Amino acid sequence: MSTAAHPGDLLSALLDGELTAREEEDVRAHLETCADCQRELRLVTEGRASLRDLPPVDPPFGFYERLVRPRHRWARAGVAALAAGAAASVGIMALAAPREATVAPHVAQLVDAHTASASTSGDPISEITPAAAPVSWNR
Amino acid sequence: MAGEGAPTWEELARSHGRFLYTVAYRLTGNREDAEDLVQEVLLRVRRGLETYQPGSMEGWLSRIATNAFLDDVRRRRRRPEGRLPEDPDWVLPPAGGADEALATEVLPDDVQAAIQRLPEDFRAAVVLCDVVGLSYQEIGKSLGIPVGTVRSRIHRGRALLREVLTRP
Repeated sequence: MSTAAHPGDLLSALLDGELTAREEEDVRAHLETCADCQRELRLVTEGRASLRDLPPVDPPFGFYERLVRPRHRWARAGVAALAAGAAASVGIMALAAPREATVAPHVAQLVDAHTASASTSGDPISEITPAAAPVSWNR
Repeated sequence: MAGEGAPTWEELARSHGRFLYTVAYRLTGNREDAEDLVQEVLLRVRRGLETYQPGSMEGWLSRIATNAFLDDVRRRRRRPEGRLPEDPDWVLPPAGGADEALATEVLPDDVQAAIQRLPEDFRAAVVLCDVVGLSYQEIGKSLGIPVGTVRSRIHRGRALLREVLTRP
């Protein structure tokens, strides 16, 4: 068989189902009698299998997130500026607010006011049910 | 603007990020270049340099990736290589130890190293065929070459790869 008659590239096309019916018939007929092409077919079959058996490759963790991030950098900068401004305002208010060394509520005065307003006399509901009556929740 | 109905690149990253990274890694052979290539693909998608055609999303992405890869190769190439891979006079190198059986299990890193030794045009063709799974016609359209050239690059690429895998 002459070299020109060897199917060559058509051997891979045979594996890939890329030949016409006529081409496939010719290639298969040639393979039956040509040891060189049988060997070549075996080699490309193995090369093809090595490629097809390769596993997927995972990108590094966070890779796409890092790629996306630059798109929003101005928005993020704006938010950061607002946050910084807010923090500064709080700080300024805290510094500017009048401060007392101690907090001294007028407790006695508050108790008197409460006693006056919490009297049960004159309140029809309070008169029916004394404020101190025990209450059972299991009834 | 990208074509009508083109997905956003955030959607691409979410749905096809692993696929795209795999194609980029198989083409470039290392993580740093793969990351650069993925970034370039996403930039092209965002700038609308590639017209989206409804169909296989992975086919579309891998077409952009291989073209970006080959563009980069041509840009970096300082001196012309010998004969072009599609030169009809180009023949397979002597098949040294190719008749030796492959190891029972060929490690992915070994296969990747062998891919790196293929001429870039061959590499693009076999990656599109055997990693992505495109048809010869789709590969020809993606790379702008006739189907006969696709067939030649795939066959020679596989044979070379197999040859390299048995070299010490």
